Order: sequence, then C-alpha cells, then structure tokens
Amino acid sequence: MGQRHEQRTERQQGTPLLSVRDLTVEFDTDRGPLRAVDGVEFDVEQGETVCLVGESGSGKTVTAETITKLIRMPPGRVVRGVAELDGRDLLSLSERELRRVRGNRIAHVFQDPQHALNHCFTVGWQIREAIQVHEDVSDAAARERTLTLLDQVGIPDATTRYDDYPHEFSGGMKQRIVVAMALAANPDLLIADEPTTALDVTIQAQVLDLLEAVQAEYDMSILLITHDLGVVAELADRVVVLYAGKVMERGSVYEVFDAPAHPYTQVLFDCLPGRGRPLRSIGGRLPDLHDPPPGCRFAARCDYARDECHTGDQPPLYDVEETQTQTASCVYHGPSGDPAVLRDGHSAGESDG
Amino acid sequence: MRWYVARRLLWAIVATFVILSITWALLYVTEQQALTSIQFQAAVSGGDAEAARAAYEQQRGLDRPLWRQYTDYMTNMATFNWGYSTSRGQPVTAAIADALPYTMMYSVPWTILTVALGLSIGLYSATHQYSRFDYAATFVAFFGYAIPNFWFGIVLLVVFGVHLDMVPIVFDPDAPVFSLANARQLVLPVFVLTTGSIASLTRYTRAEALEYVEATFTKTAKAKGVSERRILLLHVLRPAAVPLSTILVADLLGLFIASSYLVEVVFGIPGLGQLSFKAIQNQDTPLVLATTLVGVFIAVIGNLLQDVAYTVLDPRIDYGDR
Repeated sequence: MGQRHEQRTERQQGTPLLSVRDLTVEFDTDRGPLRAVDGVEFDVEQGETVCLVGESGSGKTVTAETITKLIRMPPGRVVRGVAELDGRDLLSLSERELRRVRGNRIAHVFQDPQHALNHCFTVGWQIREAIQVHEDVSDAAARERTLTLLDQVGIPDATTRYDDYPHEFSGGMKQRIVVAMALAANPDLLIADEPTTALDVTIQAQVLDLLEAVQAEYDMSILLITHDLGVVAELADRVVVLYAGKVMERGSVYEVFDAPAHPYTQVLFDCLPGRGRPLRSIGGRLPDLHDPPPGCRFAARCDYARDECHTGDQPPLYDVEETQTQTASCVYHGPSGDPAVLRDGHSAGESDG
Repeated sequence: MRWYVARRLLWAIVATFVILSITWALLYVTEQQALTSIQFQAAVSGGDAEAARAAYEQQRGLDRPLWRQYTDYMTNMATFNWGYSTSRGQPVTAAIADALPYTMMYSVPWTILTVALGLSIGLYSATHQYSRFDYAATFVAFFGYAIPNFWFGIVLLVVFGVHLDMVPIVFDPDAPVFSLANARQLVLPVFVLTTGSIASLTRYTRAEALEYVEATFTKTAKAKGVSERRILLLHVLRPAAVPLSTILVADLLGLFIASSYLVEVVFGIPGLGQLSFKAIQNQDTPLVLATTLVGVFIAVIGNLLQDVAYTVLDPRIDYGDR
C-alpha cells in the first residue's frame, strides 16, 4: 500500500490514472473475426467518474473487461492499443503481473449480483480472499477488515452475517457485498459494469448512493458502464458515448447533457421520456460488426447523413465549438461542416428535462 | 442437517433389513425346491420319501417353526455367522476375509487413479475446450468406455504377457503386497479398469466444470486477482464437486461390482469376484449369498455417503426443518 501511494505522488501532474488509447478488440467467431471495439480512446483522471454509454452490443463491456484482460482469450484478441495505468501499459503485462493489478489497483463490479458470488463459499470467506490475495495478513486481521467493509457498505449485523452464504442475501444486499469485495484491497479504480441494471428501482438508487459514498471515502476513480442516462446524470463527471465499437462523442457531463453534439447522442436523449419532446426510438439496428460498412458507423440510421458519411473511415473526434472538452466524431463538427445544422431543434435550453 | 443424516442412516438400516428378509425368502423357496427333488430321488430309488424329507429338514433346521427360522437367520447375519462354505471347507466369513485383500490390491490404486486422472483431465479439457488435448482426451475417454474390459484385458495379456514377456501371465497370490513382483502383476488389471472408468468421470467433470468456468463468479474471482489454478481448484471444482460426488459414488460402485468379476477371472486374481464366480459354479449357496450381500452392503453404504455428501457440499440445500 505504501508503495502504491508513492506511485501516486510520482505521477506527473496531468497524467491520467487510466489512459486507453486506440483500443481494438476482435473476437474469433464462426463467421470470421468480429471487431467489438475499434480504436476506443478515453482517460480516467484520479477521483473522477467516467461513464461509458451506449446501447447493447456497442462494446462497453468488452472495453471495460479488456483493460485488465478479463475477457476470454481466445476467442478474444487485442489487435492493437494500450491501456495505461499510471503510464504503464496493462495489456503488455504478463498474467502474473496483471494479477497484482486486478482487485488491488483496479476492481470490478459486475451487472448481475445473483451470479457474481460463488454459492459454495460464505460471503466472509469470499471478501477475505480478496484481501489475502494481495496482502499477507492473518486470517483474524482479514476478518476484522472484512467486517469493517461489510459495515461500510451497509450490511446490518455484519458479525453474524459474515458466515452466511450468498443465497441468504437479497439481490441488493449481494450487490453491496460485491462492492465490499471490490473495495477489499483499496483500489484506485473501480470498474462498475451496469451495477444497477439487475436491481429494482428503489435498490438502484441505494447502490448508486453507496458507490458515490465509497468513492469519496476511498478517493477512487470510477469507470461506470451503463445504458441508463439517468445514472449518468447522477454520477458522471465525464461521458464517453460508444456506438458499434467506436467512440461517437466525449465530453463533460454538463456539456454533453446540455448540448449533445453527435446525432447519435442526440437521438439517444430523444429516447428518454420527460424531455419535452415526443418520445422516439432509433430506427434500424447496429451495423454488422463482422463487416462494418465504410464511413461513419451511425450513418445508416442518421437523419443528417451526407454522401461523405458513407465513405472512408469513421470521422476523427473533432473539437466541438464553444466547449472546453467536448469532442464528436461527426463531419458536421469538422472543417467542412456546419454544426448549426445539428443544433436545429436541439437548442441548449430545450434539452432541459 | 444432523437430523437429516440420522434419518438417512436409519433408512440405510431399514434397507439392509428389507434386503436380508428378501434373500431369506428366496433361500426358503430354493430349499423347498431342493426338498422336493430329494423326496423324488428317494421315492425313485425305492426309499421312504417321508424319511428323506425329515432327515433333510433336520439337517438344515427346516423343522423349526417359520418365524424361528427367520429370526435365527437374521441373528446369524447380524453376528457375522454367515454359514459354512462346502466347496472351500471353511466358514464363509473366513473365505471372504481371505479374498478381500486381493480385491483391495487393485481396486484401491484403481479408484485413486480414476479420481485423480478423471478430475484433472476433465478440468484441463474444460479450460482448454476444443484444443488438441481436449480432442485427444475425448477420444481416449470414448475408447476406454467403448472397449469391453474383459476383451481388452485378454489382448493386453497376450501382448505384454505372452509376446513381450513384461508381465507374468499367471497371478501369484503369494507375492508380498508391496513388492515389485506384485506391482507388475497388478499393472494390467488396474490399467484396464482405469481406462474403463475414467471415461465417464472425465466427461462429467468437463461438462460440470465448463458450466462454472464460464460463470460470473469465476470472473469475479479473476477480477479479484486470484490465480488461475486457485480459481480452478476452489472456485470451479468446489461447486462442480456437488453433482460429481454423486456420479462418482454410483459410477465407481457399479463398476466395482461388475468389473471385479470379469477382471479377476481374466487375470486369475483370487479376490471377491472370483470367489463369487467359483461359488456359483460349485453351487455353494452360503458363499454365493455372502459374496452377493457384500456387494449389496457396499451399494447401501455408497448411497448413504452420496446423500450425505450432497448436504455437506451444497450449502443451498437446507435440511434444517425436515
């Protein structure tokens, strides 16, 4: 732990905690390689919450699980790209070195708490294991710390529940235990993959509050994966919008919610009820990732698509005018485009829900 | 759970009681048939059928009242007074005690090898699904499963015993238990039995482990920083052990009873299987009965262990109030 804090102070001002660059992941399937993630780039700064947003199949989970190589390889394969933690590329580490990162510096919370815990071991045992994998502490000391963790995540009567099995807890309680397990080795980054999707609405709010509370307490960064824009609004500092394995738009949560720059982000917001506009769904479906069409991935479903959108590569992430950090992968924000066309009917004031 | 185990134990005793009663009834019927033929023989040879009947009944204790015969039989069974083997000229229990060590000599290494190899090959196949090793293991498993043990034993004896002269053809019962000579003559029977039994355990282990290798909780363990080996041996094998333990017990017991006959006869090992085989040939009723009952008791105990294993291994099964 002491060593880790040294690393923290060593880190130069301006170097992000996690920096993902040009991450490209393919899966070998019967129909040939499927490119699930294609050139994804984003940063996570110390202490901030970054949300990966996108519909199902957009590559959110693959992106998150590739960072510590949790995806099964094969069939998965990192084609190129880096994921640097404090400037050190995780993707080129050996399995042994990666084990010291997993849980210890980067912890995960998965979507379905019902199956995230092993039904054959007590919850106490499973949290204790997360501690003892990384720290050489006695069983008694690990038990003490486990009880503190259970207490922190709001499990009442932790001492008696320590020896209970996962099936003796409700779904919300299980997710709290999974969070406790993720906190066990005091990580710098928590990757939460749709942590509330499998829970009912009242429990969702509780788990989100819990994540916010432990983030402040442990001074962690959170990489939150979600398709729920309500969750994004509540927790995120910055947003990364993914579509068909490509980054469509990036920016601070205020910028993106105030004025979504990419047509995809705009229609994503139109899918939300209660924004003063008639509810709509996005026509069409995700392009075939085995053989994606040329041009912008979203072109086929985009209301503003021009001829140039159907040729060449995905447009680069152009800076959006009049913003600090917002970038969008759309020709209308490029040198030959006029962003005003997209703003039509999406003025800043109107988007307030 | 303690109450469940106690009830299960009680049930095992009841099952044993029922089995013994049925064998007694069967024995009674066979003796009545033997009596009829003795009376017939006496009448044909001009003797007194009634006198022959009385002599036979007195000799066998059939002149006692029926309930008395039954209680005497049950008492004898409970006190291991299992009768006298006419073909071997010794008490049945002594004959079994003589034969048992020979059966143990090959079945203990066989069981250990089956469990160790079956589990490890199955686990490796599950984690390296559709690899070359997986295909090879599948082939070996189905080969061992498909090939009849007794035939495979004879072929191996011909090849390694007769042609290559690497193992003795005739089993030497006087070889010391822990000696090279004994190991050499046991290699083939253990090998034949293992190839036959490893198949199903390998396939079951592979299937069960596959279910948990892909499970979310395995990913959780990996995300915690747990090593691959620890994940496999604890997080995957532990839940897989629940169904496997039941398959293992039933499978090994069935094979133990069926295979011991064939293998002991082929390799000339004077164990329980051969004892039973010869008893049937010599129409030595008490010995046939005793060797059959040994198998039955092993099955009853095996089933008991299997049920108890479930309660111990799967914490989700709750017997608290039943």
